[in-house]
Amino acid sequence: MSRQIVPGIHWLQECATDLSHYMDDDDPPDWYEPGEEVHIPQSVYLIEDERSLLFDTFSPASTERVLDSIDDILDGGVLDYLVVSHPDVPHAGNTMAIMDEYPDVTLVAPAYGQAHELYHLETGTLVEEGDTIELGEYTVEFHEAPFLDSAIHLWMSEQTTETLFTVDWQGFPHLGSKCLHFVDEFDHELTREQLLQFHGRVMFWLQYVDAEKLNREIDFVIEKHDPEIVAPSHGNVIREGATEHLSMMKDVVRRIRTDGRIGTFG
Amino acid sequence: MTSETTLTSDVQWINECYDLGEKHEHVSVYLIDAGGDYILIDSGSFHHRAAITRRLETATDGEGIDALVLSHSDYPHSANISSFKSQWDDVELIASSGAPSLQGLPEATKCDIGESMTICGRTFSFIDPPLADRSHTTWIYDHESAVLFTADGFGNHHSPSECGLLSTEFEGSIETEDIYTFHNETLVWLRYVDPDRLRAVLESMVAEYDPSYIAPIHGNPIAGEEIDTYLSRLIESAERITAEYDIGDLGTT
Repeated sequence: MSRQIVPGIHWLQECATDLSHYMDDDDPPDWYEPGEEVHIPQSVYLIEDERSLLFDTFSPASTERVLDSIDDILDGGVLDYLVVSHPDVPHAGNTMAIMDEYPDVTLVAPAYGQAHELYHLETGTLVEEGDTIELGEYTVEFHEAPFLDSAIHLWMSEQTTETLFTVDWQGFPHLGSKCLHFVDEFDHELTREQLLQFHGRVMFWLQYVDAEKLNREIDFVIEKHDPEIVAPSHGNVIREGATEHLSMMKDVVRRIRTDGRIGTFG
Repeated sequence: MTSETTLTSDVQWINECYDLGEKHEHVSVYLIDAGGDYILIDSGSFHHRAAITRRLETATDGEGIDALVLSHSDYPHSANISSFKSQWDDVELIASSGAPSLQGLPEATKCDIGESMTICGRTFSFIDPPLADRSHTTWIYDHESAVLFTADGFGNHHSPSECGLLSTEFEGSIETEDIYTFHNETLVWLRYVDPDRLRAVLESMVAEYDPSYIAPIHGNPIAGEEIDTYLSRLIESAERITAEYDIGDLGTT
C-alpha cells in the first residue's frame, strides 16, 4: 500500500503495533481513541521520475511487501538509485534483496562515519552535504544528519517540492486507522505528546544533552531548509505548517532533558 | 578455556579489530564459561566470522556456545547470529529489541532493559546505557563475574601494537586521545552533550555495580581499579567533543 505525496513521490509505510501499551494508562492523551491500536511507523519513499530513487528499504519483516510495492509503482520498470539513510536494520534491512532484484541499481550511502565495509556499504556511492542526484523533474540533495543514532547517517531533501526527509527525527505514533494519512487529515492536531512518546523512547540520548544548544540546532535546521513538506521515517508526512511542527520539538527536547527517558517501545 | 585473554576466571575476551588506517577499532565478543554452558556476548562482524568461529571452537573444546546475548542489532554486533545458530545446535538468542522481527531477530528471547534474567543458570542485569546510539541497546552486567559489557560506549581506538592489551597493560592506561577519537566518530550526538549530566549518571552506575571489568565491544577491557581514570578521560573527551562543535557546523564536519 502506498500513497503519493505529490505526483511521482510515493510514500510507503510499514507499521508496528506498539506493545508497550502505554495507552492503557488511566489518563490517555486526547488524540487517542480507546480500542484503537497505536502504530509506530516506518516509511520508505520512492521517487518515480525519468530516473527512479528509493529512500530506505523497510525491515526484513517486509521484504516481499517492499519488492512488490516497488514493482507495482514502477510498473515493472527499473530502479536506478537505492539510498540507505543509515545502516539500521529497520531502514536498510532489505538492501541486499532489492539489489538482487535490481542488479543494476546504484547503491547510495552516507559518506559520514567509519568502517563502511562492516555494513557492506563500501562499494556504494558515498554522498555528503550538498551532493545531488538529478532525477528529471525532481532533484534530491543530501545533508549531514543533525539528530541521529548511527554515525553513518544522511538526511535528504527534494529541491522542487522543498521536502525534507528527516529520517529518525520528527517521529510520532499514530492511530491504527490513520496509516498513510497526512497529518492534516488527522482528526486532531499533531501534539507534543505524540512527539514525546517517540523521541522519549527512541532518542534516549536527549536526556543527556544541553537542551538549549540542541534547540539552537533545531532553529538552524529550520532556517537552513525552510521546508514545505516534512517526510520523517517514523511519523506521518507533514504537508502543512512544516516549520511550526519542526519547532515543536524544542519543547519535547526540554521535557526529555528534564524528565529523562520515558521508556522503550514494546 | 584456553588461550584467549582472561578477564576473570570465567570470562574471556575474544578480540577482533578493524583496521582504520593508523589506528584500529575493536569489534570484539566475550565468552563466559557458565559451568559447562557457554554464553557469548555479541556475535561480532561477518568480517571476522571465520576467526571468531575458529576461536570459539577452540575455547569451548568444540562444544560451541549455548546462548548468545546481544547488546543491539547493529550489524557489527549481530552479523554472525545465523552462522552460529547453524554451526551449533540450540543456541538461545537473547536480545533487548522491543520489536525483534523489525530488527531481523524474529527468534530472539526478549530481555527487558532495566530488568534481570537468568541465562544458563547465571544472573544478568540489563542496563539502560547512557553511551549508545541505537535505542534498543542494552549494557549487560554479569553478576557472578561482576563484568559489565558495554556497547558502543566505553570504547577506544588503539595502535596496531595494542590490540590485545588490557587497560592495565598500557603505559599510563588507555590514552585520552584514543577515547576521544572513538567517541567523537561513533557517538555523534555527544556534540550536544551536557558533560556534567553524563558524568553524574556514569559515576552513579559504576558506584552501583562496582564492575571488576568494563568490557567494551569497541575497546580494550578496563580493569576495575582503572575505571575512575578512564571515566575522567571519557568526560574530558565529551567536554572536548561538545566544545569543538558549534551550531551551524553541519555540513562542514
